[in-house]
Order: sequence, then C-alpha cells, then structure tokens
Amino acid sequence: MSEQIITPDLGFVKDIIASGGDSVKKCYQCAACTVVCNVTPDSKPFPRKEMIYAQWGLKDKLINNPDIWLCHNCNDCTKYCPRGARPGDIFSAMRRKFIEDNSIPSLMGKVVTQTKMTLLALAIPFILFLAVLGITSHLRIPEGDIVYSKFFPILYIEIIFISAVSLAGIVYLASLVRFWNNMRKSNSQSFSKGFIPALIETLAEFLKHSRFGKCGPNADRRIPHLLVFFAFIGLAITTIWVTYYYYVPKVNTPIPLTDPMKWLANISASALLIGGALLMINRTKNKGFISKSSSFDWTFAIIIMLLCITGILTELIRLAGISTLAYPIYFIHLIFVFYTIVFFPYSKLAHMGYRSLAITYSKMTDRDISA
Amino acid sequence: MSEQKGVLVIGGGMSGLTTAIEIAEAGYNAFIVERNPYLGGRVAQLNKYFWKLCPPTCGLEIQFKRIRNNDRIKLFTLAEVEDIKGEEGNFDVTIKVKPRYVNDKCVGCDACAQACPSYRDNEFNYGMNKTKAAYLPFDQAFPFQYVVDTQHCPEDCKKPCLDACKYDAIDFNMKTDALNLNVGAIVMATGWNLYDAKKIDNLSFGNIQNVITNMMMERISAPNGPTNGKIIRPSDGKEVKKIAFVQCAGSRDDNHLPYCSYICCLASLKQATYVREQYPESKVQIFYIDLRTPGLYENRFLSKIKADTNVTLTKGKVAKVSEDSETKDVIIEAEDVQGGRKIKERFDMVVLAAGMVPSTKDSKALKDVSYTPEGFVDTSTKKGVYAVGTLKSPVDVAMSVRDATGAALKGIQSLKR
Repeated sequence: MSEQIITPDLGFVKDIIASGGDSVKKCYQCAACTVVCNVTPDSKPFPRKEMIYAQWGLKDKLINNPDIWLCHNCNDCTKYCPRGARPGDIFSAMRRKFIEDNSIPSLMGKVVTQTKMTLLALAIPFILFLAVLGITSHLRIPEGDIVYSKFFPILYIEIIFISAVSLAGIVYLASLVRFWNNMRKSNSQSFSKGFIPALIETLAEFLKHSRFGKCGPNADRRIPHLLVFFAFIGLAITTIWVTYYYYVPKVNTPIPLTDPMKWLANISASALLIGGALLMINRTKNKGFISKSSSFDWTFAIIIMLLCITGILTELIRLAGISTLAYPIYFIHLIFVFYTIVFFPYSKLAHMGYRSLAITYSKMTDRDISA
Repeated sequence: MSEQKGVLVIGGGMSGLTTAIEIAEAGYNAFIVERNPYLGGRVAQLNKYFWKLCPPTCGLEIQFKRIRNNDRIKLFTLAEVEDIKGEEGNFDVTIKVKPRYVNDKCVGCDACAQACPSYRDNEFNYGMNKTKAAYLPFDQAFPFQYVVDTQHCPEDCKKPCLDACKYDAIDFNMKTDALNLNVGAIVMATGWNLYDAKKIDNLSFGNIQNVITNMMMERISAPNGPTNGKIIRPSDGKEVKKIAFVQCAGSRDDNHLPYCSYICCLASLKQATYVREQYPESKVQIFYIDLRTPGLYENRFLSKIKADTNVTLTKGKVAKVSEDSETKDVIIEAEDVQGGRKIKERFDMVVLAAGMVPSTKDSKALKDVSYTPEGFVDTSTKKGVYAVGTLKSPVDVAMSVRDATGAALKGIQSLKR
C-alpha cells in the first residue's frame, strides 16, 4: 500500500464548527445519511465521505468537490443521523466556506460571509450614495409629485449600478471559471456528455425545481424556493425592460400601473415577498429534528426580505403621495439593491452559479440522478 | 427454610436464578418473585448461546435442578412486587400473586390444552403463533405446570378444560393473593426487553412481514419454536436461503437507544450459523457500523464466521427497507462504505438486530433507587438494594451470571450487617 500523507487544515475545521457545523465531530461514519439521501448519486455518494473529510480538515477534497453543491439541504440525513451530527448543517457550512474562499477579491468574501461585517458592507453604498447626492446637492426632499428621478437622477443610478453590475458580473464569472477548472482538475475527466447539453438539462431542471421534490422532511421548500427563483428572474427582466423604456420609447418612470411591465414587476415583488416569508417560516418550523441555520443564512435572508419590503413600500408610499417618507425609503431600498447586486458573488445567491456548474458536471460525468 | 431472614430476588431469569441459587447454596434464604408463569426469562427463549453454540435449555436445566434440591429457595411465579418499605436488614415487601388456575396436582399431561377450545397469542414466541388458553409456556417450563389464561378463556371454554383434567389440577376459584415478606436485602434482576423496532420507521418492522427481530429469529430457529426450528419466513413459509442482518437497529442511535447493546453483533453472527447450518447453499449478509466482538469473541467466534465465504460482512448502516409486493422479498439499501457505492439488495428475510432496553426503563418500580436517563439502575442511593445483569448495562449471559454471583455475596453481606 502506498503511503499517503494527510495534512489536515485545522483552521478549516474550526471555520466549519463556527458557522453552524459544531456537530461535525459527532459523526461515526455509519452511512445512514448516504442511504436516506434522495439527491445523491449511487457511486461515491454523499454526505458520509464529506463528513470524514470535514472532521479531518481535508479542505482540498471538499473545496473542489461538486457534491457539496449537489446537496439541496433536504435534511433527510440530519433527521436520520443516529448521532445528531447534522450533515445538512455541515454541508451548508462548507458551502458558505467555499463561497468565502473562492471569492475574488478574497477580502470581499470575508466581508460579506461574516455576519459581524454586515453593517460595514451596508455602509459602503450608504456612504457612496450620500456622497454622490451631497456633492450634486440632491440631498433633500424634492417638491411636487413624487418622481424618484428628481431625487436620484437616472444618470447617476445608471453610472453607479451599471458599473456595479459589470464589476460583480466579472468577478462572479471569474470565480465560476476557477471553480469549474479546479473541479475538472481534481475529479473525473471522462465525460459522457458535452457541457452545453448538460447545462441545458440542468437549467431545464431548475425551472421545475424537481430535486427539491425528492427531499423528505424539507420537500415543502420547493414551492417557496420556486417563487423566489422566478421572482428574481422577473425582477431582472423588469430592470432591463425599464431601461429599454427609458432609452427607446423614452418613457420616464413612474410607469403607470396598467403597463405590462408594471404587472410583471408587481407580481415578481409579491412572489419574492411570499416565497421569502414562507422560506423563513419553514426554517423555524419543527420538523422533528434539530437544524441550525447559520447566521450567514439568516443575515442574507433578512437582507433579501428588507430589499423586497422597501421596494414594495417605495411604490406604495409613492402612490399614497407621502413624499417625506417616500424618498428616504427609496434611498434605503437602493442600499439593499446595491448590496444584493455588488455582493452577489459573495452572498448566498452565489449558489446559483456554483450549483448549476456542479449539477452540469455531475451530468457530464454520469453521476446524475434522474431528477 | 430456616427462620432467618432472606434475600428477595426480583426476577427469575438467568441473573435472578443464579443470585438466588448462590445465596441458598451458601446457606441463606432466597425468595424469587417472577412475573411470568415460568423461570428462565430471555435465556429460555434463545435457541443457542454464542459462542459455543450450545442450547441454553441445557444450562437452565442445571439451574432448575439446583433449585429443586434446595429448600432454602422459595419461588413465586405469576408474582409481582407491590410495595417495599424499610431499610437494609429489615425490608417489608408486599407481593401480589396472580392465580395460575392450575394447582400443584398438575402432571403436565396436556389433556386440558387438547380439550380447550380457545386460543391466545403466544408471547413467548413474540406472537408468531398461538397456544390454547390452557397451555404450558414452553416444553421445558419450570415449574412444569400448565396455566390458564382466563382473559382468553370465556365461560364456555372453562368447562371443557375442567372436565379434561383427571387430576383435579384445574381450579377456577383461585384468586389474586397478597403476601408479605420480611427480607434483609433485595436484588433487582428484572432483565431486559427488546427495543420496540416499530419505532425505527425507516426499517419498516411491522409493515413488512419478512422483516423480523433478532429475538423472533431465535424463536424461529429454536426446535421448540413456532416453526419447530425450520427457518422459514413469515409471509409464505418459504425457506430462507438469502438473509440479511441489520445491526444497530435502534442501538447507538440518539433517536432510539444511545448506547451499544453489546450482544447484537454476537447474536447476529450466531444466527448466521443457524441459517448456514440449515441450508448449506444459503447466503448471509451482515450490515454493520462496527462489528463489536469484544475480547475473546473475536478470535473464537468472529474469525470462524469470517472464514465462511457465504457470509458477507458489509460496513454500512441499513437505513431504508422496502418490500417487493409480489414476491414479498425484502429490499434493503445501504452504503457499502468500503466499496464506495450505495447498494440495493434483495433478501428472502431480514433480521433487525434490535437492542436491549432495561425493564426499569418503563417500570421504575423501586422508589429510592436512581436511574440513568436510559433507564438503567444506579443502586448507589439505597443500601441493601442491588441490581444485577442487564439492569445495569447491556451484557451477555456469561457476564450476567458472573455479576449475579457478586450480587449474591452483596445480599448476604446485607443480611449480616
């Protein structure tokens, strides 16, 4: 037998323990988790092997491992774990750790994934907006009808947000490419399917959220998560749509409530509110086992809810005509929009890309489960 | 029986019997209070002992003989302790003795059972068959005396039983009796129950006919069991040629029994030999987390079974069990940890290696005795009260017997203090 030298990364173990995975050392490798998991492939299944990697601090084996993203946090494993080792929580902690470590620049990963830095992260857009509005002497409540562009001119919004989206987009793409390359380097190279067909299959699966349906105790997350998923797609389309209105037919905001774009916007916002609320309620429900959502998860969930609520209030208070309240709310809303967009690559939302790639990879390497 | 005070032994299984016999043979009085109509407890239900694979009835027979030859032992069957008052050296004990409806004239001729028209579930065989309402608990029962279960013997069932008995041994006028004893010490020896495998929902015991427990397997394999020792499955009586053992069914599991029940690995290895002996072409697969064969068992026992190529030992806990509704075969899922794959295997029958629950888990009869959260006894709080065998931790028969000898001495010391 060849000798293998194992270099444990104790810092990694401590990180897992600190971010909701304090039960990692309880695992005694019985493999009940792997059996009850409905979303694992049959060959080299998870989560048992990852549990021992995590205990031993074998970060290299985890960080480029597609399996931590194949996990949908169903928590069948946690429910049936005879030791209370909570594999579901360990996987959440590993994903959080991965997002942090794979961040470009890595400092940003630390700022966004650590709860105590949240206020600092929110302070960045706050100060930026204050400075822009202050310097251009817009920092006051405008007279007359509530038109948000009187307060925060569209040009400024576009300069700030288009650069923000581009920046976030570039670093996110770079993170995804790095993940993909590392995953290919450290795993199977024999592909039975091309990238594009596999990716298309993956995205088609997302539209139905079929994997969530396989979850045991957490299957009722499927509809709420589906609502949030489509809400974000709807809101992304709305944003592009409103930009098109502004530049092509030269229609300025506010867009009348009768416009189809407005319908899409309002439906999406409602879906986000309902879906988000259901997800949060679901988390606090007693499902017959203990699961600890890490503070990373909670912080992000709360910020998305605040983004949604301030967005809806921005519209409602404008319609009610209370300008003293409307502009400040709009200002706060923009802070959350900025946070969501710029910090996207470092937040929980980043799972979208990583998970897509991991599932695509599993389909290419014949480790797919029939979803 | 001499006039001096004795030791009360609660429970007439292997631990209790040994304790009482050792006390009596050392020259002191012992009282055995047994809830069942027979002695021998769980041991009486076993087909064979590990690791020597000899029948336990042989060892029990020796114990029964020692009791018969010793007038310092007073035996109460169908009896339960109602109340205990007092201190070491002077305990006042109230015992409730339920009627057997059969007196000492019984010769065990079986005439009453043959005449009896009513049936009852045979709990000695874990409900896998029925006996008549007038019955002998099992073929080597001690005392060798029939019992009538009047709950399952309505008025029209009583007369044929009475008429059939030529010895005037049946007496339906017997009543529940209360007795008082004054003893110097008390030894708790009420043993263990099998963990209720129905609580392990993912293993489907109770929903799938051919999923049975390890104690049921003992009864199926025993010559005096419901199938006369032929290993056949419950659904259709098919010979069991491919069998799986699911270790840690409840044990080492925070959701069920957080401790290791100690005997189940050895019991499954033992039961593997039952099948292998009966059907030379049979295949046995044992699914385990860790095979625990402490001490000498590893060399004397495990190594022998490992050498049998028809026995496969697979590391990986079974966590899903389903049934092929047509064939009634059982399909189990596990991760073959050493092979790195999730596997699905089909078996004729599956045995759950269910764990041991101390009888004091549900009936904490004795006051002033402290219990662990799992229900095991910690006797340190009451002087003159001792627990023995599986009441303290899961142990095998050999360890129970050793422990019982120690408890006998402790009991005698309490008498002398």
